[in-house]
Amino acid sequence: MNDSFPPISNSQCGSPEHTVHRRLFLQGSMAASLASVASFSGLFSIPTYAEQVQKRSKKVILLWLCGAPSQFETWDPKPGTSMGGPFGAIQTVLPGIQISSLMPKCATILNKFTIIRSMQTEPSEHFQGIDVMTRGEKPRPPFMRPILGSVVAEQLGHLDSPVPQFVLLDPCPEGNEFKAFKAGNWAGWLGAEYGPVRAGGEYSIPDLARPENLTETDFSDREALRQFFSRKFENDRNSAAAAAYNAAFNRVQGLMSCAPLFDLEQLPAADRERYGRGAFAQHALQARHLIENGSTFVMVANGMPWDNHVFQHEMHQMLVPELDNVLFQLVTDLEERSLLDDTMVIAMGEFGRTPWINDARGRDHYPKAWSMAIAGGGVQPGIIYGATDPLGVEVVENHVDNRKLFATIFSALGIEPGQSFNLPNLPTFHRVEGDVQAIPELVI
Amino acid sequence: MFKRFPNLSSDLLHPVKSLKIVVMESVSFKLTSHFKLPTGLLGGALSLDGDLLIAACMDGIYQADLKTKEFEKLGEHGSYVSSAAWLHSRGTFLTAGYDGVLKWFDDESRQVRLERKLHDFWSWDMAVSQDQSLIASVTGQYLSGGYKYEPLTESEPSVLLISAETGEVIHRFEHVPSVQAVAFSADSQFLAAGNLMGEVRIWNCRSGELVSKWTTPDFTSWGIIKSHCYLGGIFSLCFTPEGNEVLLTGMGPMRDPMAGNGRQLWQRWDWQQSPPVKRDETHKNESGEGLMETIAFHPSGKFFVMGGRLRGGDLNVAAFDEETGNRIASLKTGYRVTEVLFPGDGNKMILVGMQGQPGPDKNGQVGKFGRIESYEISGLSN
Repeated sequence: MNDSFPPISNSQCGSPEHTVHRRLFLQGSMAASLASVASFSGLFSIPTYAEQVQKRSKKVILLWLCGAPSQFETWDPKPGTSMGGPFGAIQTVLPGIQISSLMPKCATILNKFTIIRSMQTEPSEHFQGIDVMTRGEKPRPPFMRPILGSVVAEQLGHLDSPVPQFVLLDPCPEGNEFKAFKAGNWAGWLGAEYGPVRAGGEYSIPDLARPENLTETDFSDREALRQFFSRKFENDRNSAAAAAYNAAFNRVQGLMSCAPLFDLEQLPAADRERYGRGAFAQHALQARHLIENGSTFVMVANGMPWDNHVFQHEMHQMLVPELDNVLFQLVTDLEERSLLDDTMVIAMGEFGRTPWINDARGRDHYPKAWSMAIAGGGVQPGIIYGATDPLGVEVVENHVDNRKLFATIFSALGIEPGQSFNLPNLPTFHRVEGDVQAIPELVI
Repeated sequence: MFKRFPNLSSDLLHPVKSLKIVVMESVSFKLTSHFKLPTGLLGGALSLDGDLLIAACMDGIYQADLKTKEFEKLGEHGSYVSSAAWLHSRGTFLTAGYDGVLKWFDDESRQVRLERKLHDFWSWDMAVSQDQSLIASVTGQYLSGGYKYEPLTESEPSVLLISAETGEVIHRFEHVPSVQAVAFSADSQFLAAGNLMGEVRIWNCRSGELVSKWTTPDFTSWGIIKSHCYLGGIFSLCFTPEGNEVLLTGMGPMRDPMAGNGRQLWQRWDWQQSPPVKRDETHKNESGEGLMETIAFHPSGKFFVMGGRLRGGDLNVAAFDEETGNRIASLKTGYRVTEVLFPGDGNKMILVGMQGQPGPDKNGQVGKFGRIESYEISGLSN
């Protein structure tokens, strides 16, 4: 793993690696690359943690509900109240606990989930909300904190695996603020190799198939020759650029070897039908498939469809049943395959939506009191954590902010939340700031 | 902010590009009274004299006296009440709701005398035939049926034709969910229903035969920017007085349906042609942006009014000349209009709807946000 990090040099010789450095600097990521090196010494620095991580080999599927779903039409319904909306609530398998009538399937397996009904965060705009809820912390320039998927891929991933460790499945090329976010630096100080491989829809990975006019033997011979000369060059010249090129080749070779994992058509037709026909459902199935075959973190999104300032009920009547079925199928499949204990499924957006309906049939942004769901992966099942008041306006019990949530997720995955990092010319930072601890009731 | 006196305009300045001599109608609206109900009105129905309103509200059914501005809650559905109608000849009024239930009320006792569970999903809209013998209700949940979120086929009949007398279902008609608007022809012979995808189907009420079917793509958005799915559709429709044409309304397509900034749109279709022919639509520069949720002819048949929400521009209610399609008056009400109503004599126009729901005050109380306005109509030629 050491050779995956470029060396730090103060020279200005114009070599390719320094060109890369200058570009990173121009992108505001110089500190990030420095931090990558500094952090390496901290990786697995605690032997017991390293053993635990390798042993447990946990994985994560993040259903990223971008745009922010309504808590009223999902996990925290308020039927019969002025804010409750037109959909009812149904009894779940947990005594006395109701969820939206749009989620009948999850109601039958709610004992597999932890539902947090007391999320309370600060940002009320998408970009900032996405930042906080995917990185766990507000920005602290020039330091760029890695996104959750990058951290999990770095900490729990199998870097020698040909299968990408962090995959983003999102067929929507746009997405307003999410589009802008996607264009940013996801891996932060960990470095680009911990960024996601993006696929889905128009983002099918091109040219993964070996050309037809090239036999497998010829292909192997050519690759062996390429490896010999490039490794020799890398060793003779001590070239980080050559090392990076080799790493890129290795990654492409890995992708070529697992290309079928990215082909929806290769998935069993019965499974595709069972998950549902929409893009989000299909990619959730693909996420399960990737996890089963070696990926560590798969994030599934579909643009930003939950931002229903208009047509709230008209959209949620379609989006929530799809989410309900996807969660049901995913959790059930993982459990049947004995993978649920080691695979965490998270369903959340960047905040919630207002209790009150606007004059465009919509609900607006609301970070003050919202809900999210987790199943498996070391999180205690069957817990409804926190509560809101009768109208869903305020959290009245067990506030959970981004730090507490991330500390809980990290702890459940076996990643130390409080780990500190000392980067050159920067104050000490921690994986989760503020010495915030996991919610003990939620971690197995 | 609520405007006590909305902008009034009577814009007759657009020349008619036609060789025939056309007498363009002139009309103006003057606000004469207004008041609020506790929650938003999704629909309403007027008594014969136009003094009493049955209001379909988010929290139940209200009776409102338009003269005294007094109101009383009569009952509830299991969810929002979506529409109301009178069966004057039967001493009855009706309400339908997002619980899929249709209720018959005695207009004297105001007690429920019949109740039918029509749909598993919402009754999006309900209408009564002119002869008061038939009721129609439409339903359908938009569910994902394909990779690009094409609507899944219906799980229950989307359109029901019901006997007003017995409540028995006479015909069950197929459509593609969600079916959001329904209307009878003036002679009570035909029934039209429009859906999310801009598809209109018309049936013969007696035989149940599907007599016309077409799709206009101009009311439906597939979200390129944020949401790869379908939104919008036809939110209201009505037959012309002669019955050979149908008016549709909703919102023009958008790249980002979440913006709600599509064109305020009506279209007029000759459904008796094969295939049906679009005759007219909102003229250029005669509309703003926002979803239009209601369209209705004035009893004179000389103009029609569309209403809805203002997202951009300077109007959310506008009247259009029946013959030319030109805009002849407009209003900017400052709230979302969900239904335009005319009493039989045509001297008044009642608008119902809602402003944005306020948050609770420190005592947990939510202010009223349902809106009712009464306008005097003047300037109409004999």
